[in-house]
Amino acid sequence: MALLSNTAVLLGKELRTEFRSRELLTTTVVFILTIVILFSFTFQPSGSESLRFGPGLLWLAILFAASLMLQPGFLREQTNDTLSALRLSVSDPFAIFLAKLIANTVFLLLTEMLLLPIFAVLFNVHILGVFPQLVLVFFLGSVGVAIPGTAFSAISAQARMRELLLPLLLLPLLTPVLIASTEATAALLDVQPSLQGKWLGFLAGFDVVFLTALWLFGEYLLEE
Amino acid sequence: MKNFDSIFAAYVLGWAVFFGFYLSIGKRASSLRTEIEQLKNSLSRGK
Amino acid sequence: MAKRAILGLVTLGLVVAAAFASFYVVPMERTMGPIQRIFYFHAASAWAGMTAFFVCFFGNLLYVWRRQPKWDWLGISAAEVGLAFTTIVLITGPIWAHPVWGIWWTWDWRLTSTFVMWLLYVSYLLLRTLIAEPDRRALLSAFFGIFAFLDVPLVYFSIRWWRTQHPQPVVMGGPGSGLEPTMRKVFFFSVLAMHALMVLLLSERYRLEKLRGEVDDLRREAEAQ
Repeated sequence: MALLSNTAVLLGKELRTEFRSRELLTTTVVFILTIVILFSFTFQPSGSESLRFGPGLLWLAILFAASLMLQPGFLREQTNDTLSALRLSVSDPFAIFLAKLIANTVFLLLTEMLLLPIFAVLFNVHILGVFPQLVLVFFLGSVGVAIPGTAFSAISAQARMRELLLPLLLLPLLTPVLIASTEATAALLDVQPSLQGKWLGFLAGFDVVFLTALWLFGEYLLEE
Repeated sequence: MKNFDSIFAAYVLGWAVFFGFYLSIGKRASSLRTEIEQLKNSLSRGK
Repeated sequence: MAKRAILGLVTLGLVVAAAFASFYVVPMERTMGPIQRIFYFHAASAWAGMTAFFVCFFGNLLYVWRRQPKWDWLGISAAEVGLAFTTIVLITGPIWAHPVWGIWWTWDWRLTSTFVMWLLYVSYLLLRTLIAEPDRRALLSAFFGIFAFLDVPLVYFSIRWWRTQHPQPVVMGGPGSGLEPTMRKVFFFSVLAMHALMVLLLSERYRLEKLRGEVDDLRREAEAQ
């Protein structure tokens, strides 16, 4: 199918561009750690408090980092004026979004997987027993962050004050993702770990709704 | 009436929002109308 | 001109009647006393605000489909009007809560999700100020408006599920939860009155936007000369 092959080619380009500057990954990890540490000073780090606040802090930090990290996505095309070339190269403009979306999700996931062991140490939680389930939660949550994030980076690239605009547009909208991901993560890191089907289903629903909206309306964001 | 000040405050503030909004629309509309007149005049003079 | 005057008078009549009813027709609420009457103003505004945001969504969809400026005008007008009503919900909520429970804000799920919705539409307005070119502005903000409206039920449910999972003192007595018949009738009448007010404000704001379009056209014509 043309969409898939177009997406695959573009995805390769996206990943190659990002990996050429591996600093993005390490910078994001350090940034999130900084936020987590700063946040930790706002409460008494006893065992039960860590468990109560930890997952929420982690996800909040991920959200902040994403609203900064997702900025270059379309800005790069804007500054290099490559957007029209991109659009000519594909039959379905959704392939452009899909490629950037997948690349952004991969980056978010990589960042999170690097962070999890550190987080486990800092907050004294056991992640090994529930690792596959955690990956599922982080995958669904990251997709939830990446879909509006990628869409809005296309918007902010065409507006003023874009550094502030993307977080402003993105963060209120991601409230459901923050809540669902935090609850699911907290349940898995609890003394009695459990997989919260309700929140996972909710995240999946969120992803489907906005992916569909992006598919229906995304091409209008790329118009000249 | 018990808690009269709160009820009073709620209604006054509430209606203030609506009136403020309505008045700001009116003000903006009249300034736009004057601008339209000016533009129409300069256009007819130009022609 | 006559139509506007009639709409204005009808709205005024409905609003005054609703206020009268909420004070004199409805029986006194047992636990909270007179302060509960704010509920009719507060909850009816919430409903009117939601309807306004739905109209905004409708305008956004139609703009993306048809690209006629009038749908953009409808979108921005409805968003501002919706924001006015939502602001009132957020103001009257704490004013109601404070004498009854001694606290201004409670992160009660209704108020919290209203707050998030308020932020989303403030962002919509801010976005529009940051894009200069009118067609681009209309298209990009329509897209954001669509996403924002789709998010509203998701925000509502996630906050509600989260709050019921961690039981907090339920502060705002829910509308319709144990509303005795007279109260229910007055409530729906208040909702009607608020919707009339919403339509009035929406039409006034729309006319303003239409005027702005006229100015833009004239300016373009002047520059072309």
